[in-house]
Amino acid sequence: MKKGKLWLLLTILVGVVMIMAGCGGGGQKQNSADSNQAAGGGDTIKIGFLGAKTGEHAAFGVETLKGMKMAADDINKAGGVNGKKIEIVESDHGSKITEGTNVTQKLITRDKVVAIVGDPTTGITKAAAPIAQQNKVVLLSAGAVGTGVVEIGDYIFRDVLLDAVAAPAVTKYVNQKLGWKKVALITSMNNDYSVGLSKLFRKAIQENGMEIVAEQSIQDRDQNFSAQVTAIKDKNPDGIIFTGYYTEGGLFMKEARKQGMKAVMVGGDGLLSDVLMKMGGDAVEGSMVYCGFAADEARANEKTKKFIEAYKAGNNGTLPDMFSAQGYDAVMLLADAMKAAKSEDPQKFRVELAKTKDWQGVSGVITFQDNREPLKSPVYILTVKDGKFQVKDTVEVK
Amino acid sequence: MLTQQLLNGITLGATYALIALGYTMVYGIIQLINFAHGEIYMVGAFIGVLMVSVFHQGLLISLCAAMAFCMIMGVAIERVAYRPLRRSTRLAPLISAIGVSIFLQTLMTKIEGPQAVAFPHVINDSLYHMGAIEISKIQLIILVVSSLLMLGLHFIVKYVKIGKAMRAASEDYDTAALMGINVNRVISFTFAIGSALAAAGGVLVGMYFNSVAPLMGVLAGLKAFCAAVLGGIGSIPGAMLGGLFLGVAETLGVAGGFDLYKDAIAFTMLIVVLLFRPTGLLGRPIQRKV
Repeated sequence: MKKGKLWLLLTILVGVVMIMAGCGGGGQKQNSADSNQAAGGGDTIKIGFLGAKTGEHAAFGVETLKGMKMAADDINKAGGVNGKKIEIVESDHGSKITEGTNVTQKLITRDKVVAIVGDPTTGITKAAAPIAQQNKVVLLSAGAVGTGVVEIGDYIFRDVLLDAVAAPAVTKYVNQKLGWKKVALITSMNNDYSVGLSKLFRKAIQENGMEIVAEQSIQDRDQNFSAQVTAIKDKNPDGIIFTGYYTEGGLFMKEARKQGMKAVMVGGDGLLSDVLMKMGGDAVEGSMVYCGFAADEARANEKTKKFIEAYKAGNNGTLPDMFSAQGYDAVMLLADAMKAAKSEDPQKFRVELAKTKDWQGVSGVITFQDNREPLKSPVYILTVKDGKFQVKDTVEVK
Repeated sequence: MLTQQLLNGITLGATYALIALGYTMVYGIIQLINFAHGEIYMVGAFIGVLMVSVFHQGLLISLCAAMAFCMIMGVAIERVAYRPLRRSTRLAPLISAIGVSIFLQTLMTKIEGPQAVAFPHVINDSLYHMGAIEISKIQLIILVVSSLLMLGLHFIVKYVKIGKAMRAASEDYDTAALMGINVNRVISFTFAIGSALAAAGGVLVGMYFNSVAPLMGVLAGLKAFCAAVLGGIGSIPGAMLGGLFLGVAETLGVAGGFDLYKDAIAFTMLIVVLLFRPTGLLGRPIQRKV
């Protein structure tokens, strides 16, 4: 009897171990191959990827990484940087802030990267940046658009269109071109990016003589927005300014349409994902999103066209988004700075990086100002039409 | 606008009540907080998505399929994870329940991915105006379906033989067994019914909020647990009342601008009620047998 039970237990245990091995195998193999390569080759320049491949903002991370890998390939094919090849060290923090700092630490101390590209979100970038600063490793975020990032230190950069530039431009646009006077402002309170962006919009709305007739807060991962929609519905706003992410944005608009609201939504690049349409369906038709890059072949220059073609070829014809373009530019910027400094020492090439001026990337023209804040033009305004993002207009910024 | 918000709250509360019933019934009989209950709700919601998107079924069939699947799953979980531990310490099945809960979350994340999945279009939603308030078809469906389910549960517990057996077992487990009640069968039945209700809640919520996620069961489960304790754990009408109470309080809280404290409202209310009425709103005073 006892022996029987023991056997049963053993069988179950073996079964569980086998299942777990089967599930985890794929990812682990990849990692060990990477680290083997890392240990073997002494003449590669390692650039770390900090971002999410799983979790709520996986869509941002996965695209950034795609762009980075394309840039590394292009650089390596053209002979590398200072005679060395670029190697991208991957990681995944699962969209969690605490994991983000762990991954940063790991990239610096174990993988010995000279630069980190990431994180695509402002919140995690702000958590990771002090670690990079302390260890004197360059951190270039290809997505953090919120406030208080480069202030953390002189090793921290970003190559994005800033909310501080875009929010006023967009507010002016909806006021002058679309005639909006009264707006509802929706903020996701447990989202650093959203809280910061709402602040910028609030200021821009005031400066343009518009009025916030209703203001409501939500939280990331909320699914029920019935109370908030009911509260803003009676105020009859011309439009809804939504500063959160795509999942909640889609669900929010779904609820708004369900309750009979007609107003369309405008938001930042946090809304920029196909998930918005998946969650929102017809309800997000006409919604507007601004961003620093759009795959618009009609307006693209040669460099950008080449990038779009290469991306399409590697991704079954889908178009690159802002994150893949900025990920590509981030690696290119770093490589150009290393070439200019003739060194892979972060202390040296960060000086060259800070001098970047009118640099033509695939995602637009980038200049680093004296405070290392990027100036990027133009601002693209996209709209959802027939379930797809389409370029509606561009706004030049100076 | 207040009546409109009340309606929003009652709709939300009805779904909490459906989940809370499962907690309360299981606790009433074997004094176990089934922490995997929220995950049964989540699995139910995913079965609903599967039925609609892959098998192209209507709402009614999807709802029934989700309920049937979760019934079997609930019974299976009880068989595998709780029954072998029934005679051990009270803590053992509780920890086992947490284990099952985490297992189901990760399993679903593995299958479906971590992102929320949109609930496919299953009915044409329309708005009905009734004086100052507007009620959507989906809200009506939620209210009607959950009322019918709760009425059905009431009927079973009050008038059907197995329901009487459930009441007997919740009164005194050992004595009920001595009186010839097949207690194991009663417990399996309790898990089956509780899981079916949770699955129904999952499908309705998925349809209402248009999104289903592998981690949706965590907070919903905690709040339903709160609702069960609030109403008096072990009491079926208590769970319904607790659920409604919580849904309304939460919605009014959000409408009043306390969105950040939305989840805290549930737990604060729980603490307050427990301070003044330790057995919950409709709970019976605890009797110590001598």
